[in-house]
Amino acid sequence: MSIEDPTRLGALEAARAIQAGTLTSVALVEALAARREDRDVAVCAWATNNEDGDLARALDEARARDAEDARGPLHGVPFGIKDIIDVAGLPTRMGSSIYETSGPAMADAACVALARDTGMVPLGKTVTTEFALRSAGGTRNPLNPKYSPGGSSSGSAAAVADFQAPLAIGTQTGGSVIRPASYCGAVGFKPTFGRIPRAGVKSVSESLDTVGILARNVADAAVFAAVLEGVEAVDLDDTLTRPRFAFCRTPAWDRMSNDAHKAGRVAVDKAREAGASVIDMDLPPAFREALEAQSVIQNYEACRSLAFELRFRGEDVSRALKEYVAAGYDTMRERYDWARNVQAVCRAAMWQVFSKISAIITPAAPGVAPENPSDTGSPICNQIWTMVGAPVVNTPGMTGAAAMPIGMQVIGPPGRAAETLAHAAWLHRALTKK
Amino acid sequence: MPKLTNALALAASIARGETTAVAAVEAALGRVEALDGNVRAWKIIQPEQALTEAAKRDSEKPRGPLHGVPVGVKDVIDTGDLPTGYGSPIHEGKQPAADAACVALLREAGMIVLGKTVSTEFAMRHPGVTRNPHNLAHTPGGSSSGSAAAVADGHVPLAIGTQTSGSIIRPASFCGVVGYKPSWGGVPRGGMKMLAESLDVIGAMANTAADAEAFAQAMAGRQVLPTPPSATAPRFGIARTKAWASVEHASAAALEAAAAACVAAGATVTDVELPPPFADALDAHDVVMTYEAWRMLAHERTTCWDQLSPALQAVMERGAACSQEAYANALEIRSRCRHSLKTAFANVDVLLTPSATGEAPEGLDFTGAPEFNRIWTFTGTPCVTVPGLTGPQGLPVGIQIIGPLGGDVSAIAAADWLRPLLTQ
Repeated sequence: MSIEDPTRLGALEAARAIQAGTLTSVALVEALAARREDRDVAVCAWATNNEDGDLARALDEARARDAEDARGPLHGVPFGIKDIIDVAGLPTRMGSSIYETSGPAMADAACVALARDTGMVPLGKTVTTEFALRSAGGTRNPLNPKYSPGGSSSGSAAAVADFQAPLAIGTQTGGSVIRPASYCGAVGFKPTFGRIPRAGVKSVSESLDTVGILARNVADAAVFAAVLEGVEAVDLDDTLTRPRFAFCRTPAWDRMSNDAHKAGRVAVDKAREAGASVIDMDLPPAFREALEAQSVIQNYEACRSLAFELRFRGEDVSRALKEYVAAGYDTMRERYDWARNVQAVCRAAMWQVFSKISAIITPAAPGVAPENPSDTGSPICNQIWTMVGAPVVNTPGMTGAAAMPIGMQVIGPPGRAAETLAHAAWLHRALTKK
Repeated sequence: MPKLTNALALAASIARGETTAVAAVEAALGRVEALDGNVRAWKIIQPEQALTEAAKRDSEKPRGPLHGVPVGVKDVIDTGDLPTGYGSPIHEGKQPAADAACVALLREAGMIVLGKTVSTEFAMRHPGVTRNPHNLAHTPGGSSSGSAAAVADGHVPLAIGTQTSGSIIRPASFCGVVGYKPSWGGVPRGGMKMLAESLDVIGAMANTAADAEAFAQAMAGRQVLPTPPSATAPRFGIARTKAWASVEHASAAALEAAAAACVAAGATVTDVELPPPFADALDAHDVVMTYEAWRMLAHERTTCWDQLSPALQAVMERGAACSQEAYANALEIRSRCRHSLKTAFANVDVLLTPSATGEAPEGLDFTGAPEFNRIWTFTGTPCVTVPGLTGPQGLPVGIQIIGPLGGDVSAIAAADWLRPLLTQ
């Protein structure tokens, strides 16, 4: 049996085909390279190119992987890496002109090394906004180039949604994995805070930065997350029959579009039709200040983490970034301490939130992607969940204006990623049922 | 050649025009030249660059309370103008593209990087070449070996340390300087070589608690007024902890002497029994450290195994054997310990314990045991080691002060209060 178009395969499907001998890692990398050649002029998902030698390296690696026994559940499967994460032999440009002429990184980031060690193949670096913050990197939404792919993991979401990679690594500090996944119609997974190691990832806001995943189905995301965390992958629980969800409007509800409101209601209907119980839920009072607190923490920490660039390479920092961090300089210590306290109180309240339900459903973005590739959209639907460190999965399937995607987030209690993923997989099936 | 000791005083006299940053750097370079052949605290120094920077600092208004002070940077922390080798042959000579956040912040505050100080291999156990300035046949402790020795020997008044087990407090104790491990998360870690993400902390080596505090605040990008000396005596609690099983006479006697001095000076000193979750803290710390280190050092262990020391290989093997369940359990123990700290601090402001099991061991192969430090790195509570006492071999023995979670101010104030009592 031969595979007509390997770029369409999910990561686990590809790994199984490689295992079965119906596909080689080399053939898969070649197909993805051809797809990139064909499509990336329009999508601009990749931050490295032939001059950097990303695909040549990937082919070498793939050849070596084809010659050996499988080392892990995704052996031979290529993946993209957001360009704030080090990959040995490739430059890390971070979407910043400061690092435009950087030489190749000497070492892999920890998560990349863990993936490589299980036989996965780094395919190249994907476009990030400048230091994973505001300033867009030129990537287009693969579904319609007039629209934004979202950010900051723009290239990772676009590459996966456009079948230029089955998997990619992203990072989230506000909403940088879930939002672009929502805009591009991909699965996004932000694990529990602190589980995927961050060594070798550019630090922006230490209390928030989380390494996450872009994929095309939830099972792929679950296995890739296990690989990046350096743990055994376990099969998703597919025995859920009557999952208990809560639909949560969150403090961001009034700032979402009608599209998002409608998508949320339809998603709830579909979940109920498929057998779920869905209650309406408000967050405890502590969460009223959560959006503000997340912004304060991110801003305060970003202008310190980026001290070298802002202080000593200021001429090469975008105006948007300078404006963004300006507030952080002036944030008083007391205000930051207040915000960290809100974070702690909200984290502690998460157990109360999940006392009667297994997962929360709420729109993953305030609407469809902005019709402007340099506007990466607003993270208001994501910030709270990043702040509390909860596992979050973007589940595609709903659409809004111009038939562009709007995702639903499935949020679980911190530390319970497997259950959250199982619920997201269930919801994904419910939303995409014909 | 005078020792460079008090950093805030040095900066104040630079600000008053009594001396200059250039003179301070020249003095530091002179000390290094004369003494470092024996002590070997420095991995690399940059005399010309430091003098150029100093001249610039002299030409501008002070940017902070440590303006013009030369400092040492532990070699697990990136510097954009000096190679950063992490104490490992794998990364020897590597030149980072940028300064670590804490380095950029201290430069922004007007300080001058004199050079990189020796670290053990990836801030773990395999020693560097540094020797204890009080007795060259003894270890300076580790992993912040060069930073502790450089400050103790008066090369620089401040140096950066990092701690994952006991790597700031222990070498500071062995070398007779103040070591300050801030609350976890206080100083940004971007550009630092991670060893165990949920434990690693950046902190300070100094000669006074006030210097250490000002230095750590600058590295955290905070301009705050120094903690005022506490007018009333702190309430001390003696916490012997499970680590007491490994205490040597030197540290036991020092703790007794410190407690007696506190009482004589009017402080209350009571015994504090740590709450039940702490019974498992030492074991859980080891689980968290080895589990995380196996992941953080994934590149090195998968591509350069033969270039890891046997000691580090052993840590990697333990990390590999550690299950996800064991790790989750250890994190749960940590949150129970943190939660129960309220009980431990119910009637005291700070805790007192030994900083190390005893004096610096003889020989350079073993940097000493971190048993008295691991619990507090695990909980992320602030720690300060106060020098002044000595053991039977005439080597320094520190007293460790532990503040409540986020209670850095209490710990610093208590260290300030205790310091003169130990040096009489």
